[in-house]
Amino acid sequence: MHPVDPVACTSNQAAVRARLAQSSVGIIGAGGLGSNAAMMLVRSGVGRLVIADFDRVEESNFNRQLYFPDQLGRPKVEALAETLRRISPELELTIVGERVTRANIARFFAHVDVLIEAVDTAEGKVEIVEAASDLLPDTPLVWAMGLAGCGSANEIATQRVGENVWVIGDLTADIREGLPLIASRVMVAAAQEAHVAIRVLLGMPEA
Amino acid sequence: MITIQLALFAKFSSRYPDPGSGRGARAHDIADGTTVGALVADLGLATERRITFVNGRHAPDDRQLAEGDRVAFFPPVAGG
Repeated sequence: MHPVDPVACTSNQAAVRARLAQSSVGIIGAGGLGSNAAMMLVRSGVGRLVIADFDRVEESNFNRQLYFPDQLGRPKVEALAETLRRISPELELTIVGERVTRANIARFFAHVDVLIEAVDTAEGKVEIVEAASDLLPDTPLVWAMGLAGCGSANEIATQRVGENVWVIGDLTADIREGLPLIASRVMVAAAQEAHVAIRVLLGMPEA
Repeated sequence: MITIQLALFAKFSSRYPDPGSGRGARAHDIADGTTVGALVADLGLATERRITFVNGRHAPDDRQLAEGDRVAFFPPVAGG
């Protein structure tokens, strides 16, 4: 994405909506982070999304992910597409129903303005972050880790770790595998991912 | 010797050579020619799953570090 002049966010809602309507965001993973971040981006007015996920909706998703019991068993990207289009019928949405890897990430996400990593496994995060940094170095990247557990949501922060790379999460505590995932804390991280992306699109990237 | 800026995130912060100095990034002296992989081994992180950034971009283990490089290691944790 070319550098943009900051939009006068505090005084001009129409300018913000116009900028976001022309913008595109890629989201890799449509679980607790990705489904909720997508919802917030659409409500904020982002005009185009590319969302990838290879999973189907399961009952265990309902505690934090934007799915409904009548969507059980359906591919997540299809179920999420339906929900997002109910929020914004004019949304331009591309869904990718397969696992994103180093081999295919550029094919699906070369043309988005911002890329959000929202996968749920540690191995997946390594692959996506490394591949995005190596293969799409000019695409702003937002990734997340350390959102599980019952700790204070205030511990989930944004840190800029490169010129166009931000990491969201509880980066100071001794985070570890196996902690419970609480909807409210996961959604704080999802909201931060969405908001960092929006600030990039508005030309006022998080410092 | 060269001096890099070393940042160890989350659980890796206990591997700072001077853990009493808190969790933030700090100057760290290494031998000329040290690679990312050698630094990782020195810090006791060789067997840990990690994401490595040098100067804001992913860097492989054979990357040779230079004076002033900003090196960051993140322990990726599942959940999303």
